Amino acid sequence: MRPTFPRWKAYALALPTLLLPGLSHLCLGRKGRAAAFFLIVGTTYAVGLHLSGALFPFDAPNWLYRLGAVGQAGLGLLYVGGRVLGLGKLGPDAVTDVMFGYGSTFLVTAGLMNMLLMMDAFDIAVGRKD
Amino acid sequence: MLRDHFLSLLAYSVLVALFFAFLYHREPRALLRSAAKTLGWMVVGSLLFAFLMFWTGP
Repeated sequence: MRPTFPRWKAYALALPTLLLPGLSHLCLGRKGRAAAFFLIVGTTYAVGLHLSGALFPFDAPNWLYRLGAVGQAGLGLLYVGGRVLGLGKLGPDAVTDVMFGYGSTFLVTAGLMNMLLMMDAFDIAVGRKD
Repeated sequence: MLRDHFLSLLAYSVLVALFFAFLYHREPRALLRSAAKTLGWMVVGSLLFAFLMFWTGP
C-alpha cells in the first residue's frame, strides 16, 4: 500500500488534471492509467470538435447550453484554450449542423470524465483507492 | 466517416466503456470484461430504445 497524503496535498494533487487529463494520475505514479485517461478524454474531446460540437459559453442564450458549459468547464485548460482559439464556436452554422448535438454531447462527456478523474485522483491520494 | 449516426454511437460507447473500465478495474481480464459488457449494453440498449421510439411514435 502506498503512503497516503495529507488532505491539503490530496486536493492539490487532484488539480493537475485540469491542465491535462490524466496528469494527476501521472503525479501519483499511475503511469499506465494516466496514459489511458489522456487518450480516452483527449479522443472524446477531439471527436466532439470534429463532429461540430460547441464549447458552450457561460452566457449562452438558453439554460441548457449554460448547463453544458458547466460540464465542459471540467476540461479545464482544454475548455479555456478551445474557447480562446475559437474552436467549437456556438453560432447559427454550428446549431444547424446535423451532428451538433452529438458533438456537443462528446464535449460535455469529456468534461464530466475529467471531473471524475479529479475525484479519482483525490481518492487515490487520501488512500481510499489503490 | 464519424458523421454517421451509428458510428457516432459506437465511438461514444467505446470511449465511455473504456473510461469506466480503466476507472474501476486494475486486472486486465476484469477490465476487458467490464468494457465489453458496458459497450454491449450501451449499443444494444440505445438501439432498443430507438426502435421503441420508432414503434410508439406518431
